[in-house]
Amino acid sequence: MSRLSRKKSGPKATAPKAGQASEPVVVLAEQPEALPEPARLVVQQDVNSLHQHQVDERQLQLLIKDWRRGRATRSVGQMLSDAYVALFSVAVIAAMMISSLIRAQSLAADCSADSCGAARGLLPWAALAGVLGLALGAARMFGPVLASAAEGFWLMEAPLRRSKLLAARLLAAILLALVGGAAVGALTSTLTGSSGDAVIAWTVATGLGAAGLTAMAAAEQGAERTWIVKTIQAIVSLVGLTALLLVVATASGWIDLGLTDNLAVELAAIVAAAGLLLAVGAGIIARTRLDRIRRSRLTSGGSLISGMQGAMFAMDFGLMRDILVEREAVDRGHVRPTRGRGTGLTALVLRDVQRIIRFPKPWVLLAASVVVPYSVQALGLGRLVVPIAAIVLMAALIPFFTSLRILSRTKGLARAFPFTTAQIRTATCVVPGVLALVWGIAVTPAFVGVGGTSMVGKTPVDAAMWALVTGFAGMLAAMRWQSAKSANYQAPMVATSMGAMPPGLMFNLVRGFDMVALMSVPAVFGWTPWISVVLGIIIFSFLRVGGIDPEEMRELQEQQKKQLNESRLGQAAGNPAPGKGASSKPAGKATTPAGQKIRIKRGE
Amino acid sequence: MAARTVVLKVTNLSKSYGPSVIVENFSLEVREGEAVALTGRNGAGKSTVLRCLVGADRPTEGTVEVLGEKVSESNVDIRRNVATVIDDLDFFPDLSVVEHLDLLARAHGLDDADALVDEVLEEVQLVPQSGQLPGTLSSGQRRRLALATAMVRPRKLLVLDEPEQRLDVEGIRWLGERLRAEKERGLAIVLASHEPSLVEALGCRIVQLGGARG
Repeated sequence: MSRLSRKKSGPKATAPKAGQASEPVVVLAEQPEALPEPARLVVQQDVNSLHQHQVDERQLQLLIKDWRRGRATRSVGQMLSDAYVALFSVAVIAAMMISSLIRAQSLAADCSADSCGAARGLLPWAALAGVLGLALGAARMFGPVLASAAEGFWLMEAPLRRSKLLAARLLAAILLALVGGAAVGALTSTLTGSSGDAVIAWTVATGLGAAGLTAMAAAEQGAERTWIVKTIQAIVSLVGLTALLLVVATASGWIDLGLTDNLAVELAAIVAAAGLLLAVGAGIIARTRLDRIRRSRLTSGGSLISGMQGAMFAMDFGLMRDILVEREAVDRGHVRPTRGRGTGLTALVLRDVQRIIRFPKPWVLLAASVVVPYSVQALGLGRLVVPIAAIVLMAALIPFFTSLRILSRTKGLARAFPFTTAQIRTATCVVPGVLALVWGIAVTPAFVGVGGTSMVGKTPVDAAMWALVTGFAGMLAAMRWQSAKSANYQAPMVATSMGAMPPGLMFNLVRGFDMVALMSVPAVFGWTPWISVVLGIIIFSFLRVGGIDPEEMRELQEQQKKQLNESRLGQAAGNPAPGKGASSKPAGKATTPAGQKIRIKRGE
Repeated sequence: MAARTVVLKVTNLSKSYGPSVIVENFSLEVREGEAVALTGRNGAGKSTVLRCLVGADRPTEGTVEVLGEKVSESNVDIRRNVATVIDDLDFFPDLSVVEHLDLLARAHGLDDADALVDEVLEEVQLVPQSGQLPGTLSSGQRRRLALATAMVRPRKLLVLDEPEQRLDVEGIRWLGERLRAEKERGLAIVLASHEPSLVEALGCRIVQLGGARG
């Protein structure tokens, strides 16, 4: 009987006598007379009869802002003083990057060859197309106009003018695209050694172009359409690829476009003007359509952002990518199932082959990355080709390591497969490894110096070796990026001025890049490529076992010793030892249908 | 009648996280065709014991052996013989439901796995979702898929952590019948469960965990 049915008074209740401990009298809930008369609920105020004012959305937003401010425990000044070590580190890293940029810029600017001029004229076009494509992709994924889940529940349900609440979001999205695009445009034109005028022109063109397309995507979001944005995205990608192929062609000396800095400035000015017109025109249309955007469409982007913010705080870029991949899969929802092929590890490899045929998007970036060594050669950046090309290849190969990522981030799925960690990791590296090899072969002419002199390596053979080593470095970096463990918050923390921090947190920032740095050192110092080959083999051996776990190594050693002994016993008994790829059951054991193991004794 | 083989042997297993002792001196022997249910209140250590059984966690003290082999995550024989459904199961975001099952069956060397995969898919009532990507499944459907992964592969020991979670009433009834059939076929089963009807349907030996706290 529940506590609710206990009463101290009622028809059958007896009052406790003086001196006696009072005991609750249990009354059966079925007796209706035992239940008290339910109190009548009186509604004091009828909400519908109250006077409804017109809500001022601006005032509402200011009210929320005030509440938030009132709850803040630290001022901006206090926060910055707490994080001074991080800020100092950022300042040092930024200074180093700027110094490298200036050095690369002066190297590229000094190059007076035709190929350098052509690259200067073409690479900003490729960067422009890349930024525009990225802006459209991000706009489609996040909104571009978005609202948090809380805003979606509390504000969007109310009879408010959504457009008033969302106008600032629209403006923020357009401004973000403007600033981000301008930054990439400035970086690319600076690195290609363009003149001051050209740098300014490309910076403005890329920024305004990205802002214009983001505004257009917002206008389409209000109209609940996607096909226009998708079509423009495809066209922009095509333009980018064409620009990159032209870079290869001019760097190889096949064609001469005769591009000059002045022409580039004029063309960039046209793009900037078109971007500005689009940003203003589409921005106004988007503003008028803000009321029409569905709530679910708004909060979907908001929840994606909040998930990614969580990953960002942990500096876990792998997790950020996982969230995006998961979102993309959910958007896709359904695929036409295909049966696999092969058995054992082959099945895992062949499933990867099916995957890259089914999802061909990563091929675009991989194809574009082939152009990088040719562009670097065209700009005369010399030995820097190895680290630059390897970093770009790392980014291009990351999507091909999906199996590795899923099988490394949690052990649950990996445990379902009858393979060791090393076997799983090796199998999941086969497809990306082959792609890296093909990439290495495709970029060999750039390393050997087609249309000019070799950038790296004393002989053509050495240069060709460096091309393959760069492919290997890119693959190892992507493998490290996808298989690295997240920061362990259960391990003892390191005390910093910013508070306690797990030791692996800072390393998350450099994962992948560390492998490129290691593999590139011999190239930068002009040593033989064989050093990088040996380094690469050591790194791969380390990555394929997933790091060193002493306990696991000891268990593995014991297991191998046991298997060796049993194999010897089996051979002595006349049974052949199991070959590679066969069942790893020791030869000294036979298994009955019931699974009972029979140990075969020597001489039996 | 011949004695049934001991499939799982746990000897004096203890597990602590820092000063907190979760399980202390836990021993268990499970033979072929036997089902054992670990019961106890929340935090009693059921999941911890199961994680140690499959090698997901290392015991602080004691040993776990499956068919005479010491359990460790790197031991392929253990992976080959032990099918597990515990909470850390992940899915490939870009493979459909049926492709997950197909891949797993093939990885275990089952060349002609189509018939088996289709049968299991039908049994877990995921045929309409066979082409769906895991991200679009409901939590109950994901649970069914997780259970299906344990059924499309060879196994001698089945370790399940609250398998009834997120299943509807009909699903729990099906699970009970399926596990009973597995048990009758000679499979050893260890599960942690809060569902009395499942434990009863399976005819489990019940092991109550008290949770030694330090």
